[in-house]
Amino acid sequence: MRREPSLFARLARRISVVLGIGAALLVTAAWYYAETAANKAYDRLLVGAALQMSESLAVEDGILTVRLPTSAFELLGLAERDRIFYRVINTHGETLTGYDDLESPVPLDRIEDVSNAEEGFYKGEPVRIASAKRVLADPAVSGEAFVIVAQTNEARSALTRELTLRATILVLVMSLLAFVGAMLAIRYALQPVEHLGTAVRRRDPHDLTPVTVDVPRELDPFVGSINHFMGRLNERVDLLQRFIADAAHQIRTPLTALSAQIDLLGGDKLDKAGRQHYERVQERAGELARLTNQLLSHAMVIHRADSVQLEPISLVDVARRAYRAAIPITVDPDIVISFEAPDERPFVLGDAVSLREAIVNVIDNALRHGAKHRLEVRVRANDAEAFVEVEDDGPGIPPEGWERATQRFATSKSHEGSSGLGFAIALEVAKAHGGTLSFRARDERGFTVILALPLLKGGTS
Amino acid sequence: MIRIILASLVVAFSVSLAKAADDDKTVFPASGVETGRLTIYSTTDLVAMKPLIEDFQKSSPGITINYIEYLTNELNSLASEACRKGEPLGDLLLSSSVDQLVKLANDGCATAHRSPETARVAEWANWRDEVFGFTYEPAVFVYNNRLVPANEVPRTHVELADLLRERLDYYRGRVGTYDIRLSGIGYLLAFNDARQTTTVFGRLLESMARAAAVARCCTGEIIEEVAKGNLYIGYNMLGSYAYEAALRHPQLRIVVPRDYTLVLSRGALIPKAAKQAELGAQFLDFLLSERGQAIARSNAFYFTETGGLPPDVDGPQNMKESGIAQPIRIGPALLAVQDRAQRQQFIDDWSQSLIELNSPDWTRE
Repeated sequence: MRREPSLFARLARRISVVLGIGAALLVTAAWYYAETAANKAYDRLLVGAALQMSESLAVEDGILTVRLPTSAFELLGLAERDRIFYRVINTHGETLTGYDDLESPVPLDRIEDVSNAEEGFYKGEPVRIASAKRVLADPAVSGEAFVIVAQTNEARSALTRELTLRATILVLVMSLLAFVGAMLAIRYALQPVEHLGTAVRRRDPHDLTPVTVDVPRELDPFVGSINHFMGRLNERVDLLQRFIADAAHQIRTPLTALSAQIDLLGGDKLDKAGRQHYERVQERAGELARLTNQLLSHAMVIHRADSVQLEPISLVDVARRAYRAAIPITVDPDIVISFEAPDERPFVLGDAVSLREAIVNVIDNALRHGAKHRLEVRVRANDAEAFVEVEDDGPGIPPEGWERATQRFATSKSHEGSSGLGFAIALEVAKAHGGTLSFRARDERGFTVILALPLLKGGTS
Repeated sequence: MIRIILASLVVAFSVSLAKAADDDKTVFPASGVETGRLTIYSTTDLVAMKPLIEDFQKSSPGITINYIEYLTNELNSLASEACRKGEPLGDLLLSSSVDQLVKLANDGCATAHRSPETARVAEWANWRDEVFGFTYEPAVFVYNNRLVPANEVPRTHVELADLLRERLDYYRGRVGTYDIRLSGIGYLLAFNDARQTTTVFGRLLESMARAAAVARCCTGEIIEEVAKGNLYIGYNMLGSYAYEAALRHPQLRIVVPRDYTLVLSRGALIPKAAKQAELGAQFLDFLLSERGQAIARSNAFYFTETGGLPPDVDGPQNMKESGIAQPIRIGPALLAVQDRAQRQQFIDDWSQSLIELNSPDWTRE
């Protein structure tokens, strides 16, 4: 799959293209202006020199003479390295002095008193040519005399180069600053996207409430979409849970009837093989009933976690009630069962119904799969947390199986059948209360399952 | 009419010189195995250049040097014609008429040369890295101390003009200067004299005309006559030649004028079509190098831009600091000097003021 370039890269690329084109245009413009400026500056000298030369035309003894002023050449000499060509034309169109083959790009009859400098060539070299006209009204010599002055372009080119170079440096520095500034701005502008991403990524997978990160207006549609999607997902999950609860509930009624029917059937009339089958059917029906109850209990716990307001409750009371509910009357009398609670009664913020369900399930699990001769339920507390510990002398769960044990319908080889949903329900409740479900490895006393909950501040009495 | 006579005189002179060209060719054969042959066309007297050429050959023994002497105008017309035709004319041109070299460079007849040595050249003595001034030669007064009394020695242009006016009879026909029709340097110096802000040159020219000043083609000729006593004072003589002559003739004295002193720098240029341009450049670098300058100072040209005056020269001790020195800047302004109409008019004016007043004396001289 082709990876889409990052927003940063896209923006950076487009901005640099724009800046590059802008810089190229600016440099071109700078070059054009520099050339114009250089030409203007040196053209003035050229025109000035042409004027000075034409001023030096005079009629002496009826003859047109010219004494070229040194100052005119010194003026042109300000362009230090440039060669100078000139030609003075008398009223008959003959060359009075200078370079005979220097021609004005403007025809002689169109030369004005002062004309602007023009581009031209002399002996194959590019030059700027200025011309001036002098109207003579002497009785002996009358008509128009012309001065043509040309100068090579070295000083102009040098000035143009220098000006362009400086402008180019400025443009490049500005472009670089603009680019760096734009990159910083883009990075800053894209930060909320990063924040939003992090916030969504860090969310608990069960948390399907709307995202509430503060984002710029431009990201609102995006956040809106996420929230819309989460809302729909939440509805789906709710629906699914309700379906499971409904299904479990619907199954329970026929199942109760089925159990009663099996009991009524009785195994006495059956032969040995038949009795064996009968007992297995009875056992399986019991398992099914328990599983159904657990499903209902799980659905209830999840529902309550989302909807019930937590309130301060005494953990000892809850644990005691659960203890009573979990120990059946038909319990094996060989097992020593005890309940221990501290004198001060730790309070936690919680939902009594869910917590009771969680503790019942843990005790039930211990009775069903662990305890051989001893089962202890303890409530204790330290400065920050309150604990409900269920300890039995059974084989316990090896540490490598702990994670699996809290998964739904996980089975372990050491146990018959499935541990079902017991630990999953307990874990769900612990999480909903901001607590944990943990195990303490088997020691000489036994294996312990610990439900830890944060203590309510000042919550002992 | 005058112009025609003058022109024919110039032509006759040039022809005789052209014939003499072969006689003025000196070959300095390579001391080792010949690796190159450098041809220098020059307007500088061989005596002045000889120490430089010989020292150059010490460091470059494989180079044979042909040294060919011409008068400035002669060399200029040869060089510009060669340039127009695209033919080679030597590998280095040395001329005291830098205005002519500037014109050649402006016409695209020169090759630019840049090196650490050329970078040392003063800004006023370098144009386009094509024309370089390699000497520093003040235009001085020369007099014969046996014939000019000590109290009459002129120390400024004004003093000279006044002296000629006051002692007209004594100095009539005894002052010599360049004939600017024949000498490029003479024209260049006279033109720059005329550009001075003061009216001194006009007065001086008038005084010289009255005193029937004698015009000669070359510095050497005038100085020899001053030494012999035929002439008493030489005006606008090149300092280097004058000093060299003064070393030989103790009666010759040199004055560096204290109001202003024109300073000429002999120019060097590598022609565009030079066959051995790199040899020309090598010799040029040698001329501009510290070593070349030191040899020139002690053997041929004596004056320097930064140092003091040579011994026994009457003048301000440090020309540069006193602000008296006015170097003739090598640059496009010399194109105005070179303009043919300008030149013709200036020479006409000069001839009218200086020569015609004295005719026919001058023609008989």
